[in-house]
Amino acid sequence: MKVLMLTWEYPPFIVGGLGMACYGLFKALSELGVRIKMLLPTEEEVFFEINNPYEADFPLAKRENGEPLSPAPLKFFNFLYKIPEESVYAELKPFLESVPPEIHKKVEFKEVPEEVIQRLTKILSQGNSLLYKVFLYTQKAIKISQKTSFDLIHAHDWLTYPAGLFLKKIFKKPLIAHLHATEFDRALGFGHPVIHEIEYLGLTYSDCVIAVSNYTKGIALEHYYLPSEKIQVVHNGFTAKEKIVKKIKKFKEPVILFLGRLTPQKGPTIFLEIAKKVLSTGIKARFVIAGAGEMERELMLEAGSMGIGTHIMFTGFLTREEVEKALSLADIVVMPSPSEPFGIVALEAMYFENALIISKQSGASEIIENAYKVDFWDVDKMVEIILDLIHHPEKMKSLQKKAKAEVQKFTWDGPAKKVLSLYQRLLKEGSCSS
Amino acid sequence: MLFIIFYFQVHQPFRVSKYSFFDIGSSKSYFDEELNRYVFNKVADRCYLPANEMFKELILRSEGLFKISYSLTGTFLEQAKLYRPEVYKSFLDLWQTGGVELITETYYHSLASIFDLDEFLEQISEHFELMKREFGIEPSVFRNTELIYFDKLSDVLLNFPQIKTILIEGADRILMGDSPLYPRLSYNHAHLLLLKHYKLSDDIAFRFSDRSWSEYPLTAEKYVKWVKDLTLIEREGKNLYLCLFMDYETFGEHQWKESGIFEFMKKTIELLLQEKEIKFLFPSEVHQTLNYTPKGLSVPTPTSWADTERDLSAWLSNSLQWNAMKTVYELLRKAKSKGRSELIPILKKLTTSDHFYYMCIKYFQDGDVHKYFSPYDLPENAYKYYINILTDLEEKLEE
Repeated sequence: MKVLMLTWEYPPFIVGGLGMACYGLFKALSELGVRIKMLLPTEEEVFFEINNPYEADFPLAKRENGEPLSPAPLKFFNFLYKIPEESVYAELKPFLESVPPEIHKKVEFKEVPEEVIQRLTKILSQGNSLLYKVFLYTQKAIKISQKTSFDLIHAHDWLTYPAGLFLKKIFKKPLIAHLHATEFDRALGFGHPVIHEIEYLGLTYSDCVIAVSNYTKGIALEHYYLPSEKIQVVHNGFTAKEKIVKKIKKFKEPVILFLGRLTPQKGPTIFLEIAKKVLSTGIKARFVIAGAGEMERELMLEAGSMGIGTHIMFTGFLTREEVEKALSLADIVVMPSPSEPFGIVALEAMYFENALIISKQSGASEIIENAYKVDFWDVDKMVEIILDLIHHPEKMKSLQKKAKAEVQKFTWDGPAKKVLSLYQRLLKEGSCSS
Repeated sequence: MLFIIFYFQVHQPFRVSKYSFFDIGSSKSYFDEELNRYVFNKVADRCYLPANEMFKELILRSEGLFKISYSLTGTFLEQAKLYRPEVYKSFLDLWQTGGVELITETYYHSLASIFDLDEFLEQISEHFELMKREFGIEPSVFRNTELIYFDKLSDVLLNFPQIKTILIEGADRILMGDSPLYPRLSYNHAHLLLLKHYKLSDDIAFRFSDRSWSEYPLTAEKYVKWVKDLTLIEREGKNLYLCLFMDYETFGEHQWKESGIFEFMKKTIELLLQEKEIKFLFPSEVHQTLNYTPKGLSVPTPTSWADTERDLSAWLSNSLQWNAMKTVYELLRKAKSKGRSELIPILKKLTTSDHFYYMCIKYFQDGDVHKYFSPYDLPENAYKYYINILTDLEEKLEE
C-alpha cells in the first residue's frame, strides 16, 4: 500500500496539533507496512519518504527523481506576507496537460468535475498571501507526483485539499480528506468564505472523509451537507515517549496550566476568568498560560489589571521540549476550548500525570473517562473543581494516576489500523462507507 | 540678571536578563551583566568621558564663572566602579574643579515616591550616604526620578531638613501661562522649586540634530539670541533663572559627536560667558540671589519630564506596568519584614524606573522613544522576564 500524504505540518515544523497528529498516525501506519510519500510546504521541490517507523522520526527528503536532497536543511515557506511573482499567476492548466493519461483502473471513482478545477484555479490565483502558498504547494504537488507511484491520496486539512483534488483529477486515484479542524472551529462561527469553499469542495469531491471526532463529524454534516456514511470517525492517538516521565516540583503552590495557541478557539480568556475567580478566594496557586498567539497582549493586559502579582504567568512560545517541561511541572491542565475538533493536548496532559478539565465541546472528551468534562462557558463549575482538587490533594493525586493509566489505551495503533482498513475498503469498493 | 542653571542626569539601570519561565528556580543571573557592561562602555566612550573632558576644560578656562550640576544615581556609580573605573575617576576629577554641584535623588532612580514612601525615604538616605562616602558632601538640592513632583512630595521631604530646593518640570499645566524663569515655592512654602525650561532644554536634548525641525541647524549664535530674548519679559528688574535640565547622554549618545553637539556647547558657553547680564549658577545658590519672594505653586497631580504627556504614563500607563510595580514593592516589604538582607538590594535594583519604561506600549511618537531605549524586542517580553524574576524571588522569600 503506497499513500501520498499531503500535509502542511510535520515535526519539527509545527504550528498546532496537526503536525503531531500526522506524526503519530504516519508512524503507526508505517509500522503496519504502509509506505508513505509526504509533501510538505517546502520551498524546495522535494517529497519525504516514510517506509518504516524510524523514518517517521527522520523522514528523508528526496528530489523529484528520487535522489536524496542535499544540502539540507530545508527552507519552509515563511509566514510573512510576500508579493507573488508574476510568473506564478500562470495557469495550473499546463501542468494538467503534461500528465499522461492513466490506463489501468479497477475501480471507478467519482470524477472531480472540470468546473471545480477551474474554480479552485481561480480561488488560488487571488494573490492573498496564504492562498498563494496553497497555490505554490498545489503546483509543486502536481509536478512531483508525476514521477511518484501511489495507490491513494490522503490530504490533511483545507490547505492541502486543492492539491488533493488536482491530483485526484490527474491520476484518477482515490482521495481521502482528513478533517483535523474546520474553519468553523478556528473562527468560532463563520470564517473566511474562501476557506469554507475550499473545505466544502475538498470534502464533497473526495472519496472518503475522516473526522477526528464525532463533534467534528457533526460540524461537517451540519455545515457542509455531507452524507453521514461518507464520514468515518477516527479519534487521534498519542505518541508515548520512550523516556520516563518525571514530575517536577518547581513551585510551592499548585500549578494550573493552559497550553495552546492564544486564539479564541482555545479559550484563553475563559482560563483567565477561572484564574481570577480561584485567586479571589484567597487560595494560593499559580496559573500558567503557555503558548503564543495573537491574543497575547490582550490577555496580559487583562491579567495585569487583576492585580494578581506573579500568580498568572505567561511563558510565550514553547519548543517541544519546553511543552513537556511545562506539562511535567503542572498539577491540573485546563482545556477550555469553545470548539476543539480533538485536542491532543488533553492526552499529553494525561501522559504527564495531570488532573484534567476539558470542555465538552472537544473531540477528546468523547473518548477520555478520567477527566472533568465541563461546558466551556461554565466557569463556575471549573472553579469549583479546581478548588476541590487543591483542597483534596489525595483526590488530585489519584486522578493524576488514573489519567496516566488511561492514556496508555490511546496509542496510535488503533487509529492507524482503522485508517488502513479504510484504505483497503476504499480501494476495493470505491468508497469507505461501512 | 539672567542666571543659567545647568543640571545633567547621569543614570544607568541594571537591565534584567532574558529570564524565561523555565529559568525560574535555576541559578541564572537576574541581571544581564554582559549587556549592562556593553551599554556602559558604549556610553562611556561616546558621552561620559568626552563630555566630562569638555566641561572640565570649560570650567577651568572660565576661572570659576561656568558652573554645572549633576545627579549621579547609585546604580550608575556602582556600574562605573564595576565596569569602567576611569569614568568614576573622571567624575571625581571634574567635581574637584569646583565648578560642579552634586544633587541628591533616590539611589535606585525609582518611583518609590508613588508606591512606597518609607522606601522612598530610605532610598534618599542611601543616596545621601553615597554622596557623603564618595564626595564628602551633603547636597541641599533634590530631584526626584525623571523630575516627578507633586505637592505631597514636598511634605514628605520635610524628613530631610537639609533639602532646600527641588528641581521640577516646567509643565504648561502647572504653570498655566506663567513663565518657568521665576522660581516658585512649594504649596507649603517649605521648598524652593526650580522649573525646567523645557523649550530651550529640549532644543538641545531632543531637537539638536533633527533635520525635520524648522530651526535646524541650531547654531550657538541662534541659541544665545534665544536666551537673551528671554530677558525681555522682565521689566521690574527681577532676576530670572533659566533651568536647562537634560540627560547627560545628550552629549555624544543621543546627539552624536558627528552632529556637532560638542562644538555647539563649547561655542554657546563661550558666547554666554561674554554676556554681562548673564551668569551661571548652582541650583543651591538661587536662594541667595533672589531679589523677590517667589509665588507659591500647587501641583496636585504628578508631573514629570517624560514623554509628551509629562506625567507618569511612561511608567504607569498600562496594567502590566502597574502589576509589575505593585508586586516589586510588595516583595520588597516582605523581604524587609523577613529580614532577608541578601534579597533586599536585588529587589531595590528592580525598583529602577527603566524596567517599567520598557513595558510601555503607548503607540505614537513616544513609543518610538521607548523602543529606542529598550533592550527588549517587545514590551510583553520585558514584562515576562521581569515577572519571572519576581516569581523566583517570591519563591525564595517563602523558604
